Amino acid sequence: MSSTSRPVYLNLIKIKLPISGIISIFHRLSGVLLFLAIPFSLYLLQLSLKDIASYESVTSLMLKPVSRFFILLVIWSFIHHLLTGVRFLLIDLDLFLEKQSVRSSAWGVVVVEVVIMSFIIVGIFL
Amino acid sequence: MVALEGLRPWLLQRLTAVYLLIYTIYIVIYWSFINDLGYVSWRNWISSDINQILLGLFYLTLLIHAWVGIRDVLLDYIKPFLLRLMLLFSVALFLIGSGFWLIKILIMVNA
Repeated sequence: MSSTSRPVYLNLIKIKLPISGIISIFHRLSGVLLFLAIPFSLYLLQLSLKDIASYESVTSLMLKPVSRFFILLVIWSFIHHLLTGVRFLLIDLDLFLEKQSVRSSAWGVVVVEVVIMSFIIVGIFL
Repeated sequence: MVALEGLRPWLLQRLTAVYLLIYTIYIVIYWSFINDLGYVSWRNWISSDINQILLGLFYLTLLIHAWVGIRDVLLDYIKPFLLRLMLLFSVALFLIGSGFWLIKILIMVNA
């Protein structure tokens, strides 16, 4: 009975989430995306190691605009998931527990993420 | 014991996260010093003993981490028992299959 009495359902549309809630939802979303990316990572790893011709097919595949979109999506998911995950680990260590630092650490994550993503986008497209 | 039910996956999720973080830092730092990457150097690098072990551990912790995470998501959003069971089973097979795939890649690298 204990498992059914806990609040397991939240109507996300009706709740106005603070920034820490928003990055938390995206932690979950990016986690699901990274889960789905696992077989693609293995496919690319295998192809890149098979022989020199398959290695070059991987590098040319990565230059296509469509694959660049997915690469950026996976990189963003990875960076967001990692940064918010580190924040959760620090919160588990009782850091960032006051209301103000919960908020500022959440914004800190967003700022670091935007900076890293800008560097990567510039690096990939220029 | 009921109160401790969620502790093990919770702890597992955090311990695997720490290894994934350390491996990521290692990769980012190592590869930021390499500017010329060709097939031979890439294959030699990945097939060294230490990097095979670290990569194997990376995928092992990744698959455990993914299992706990996706399991939490499914338990939160999927209520019908049979559907939940089938999805959990599919995810488990998907992750175990991914593990076998990595083993196959490592065998190929050693051949």
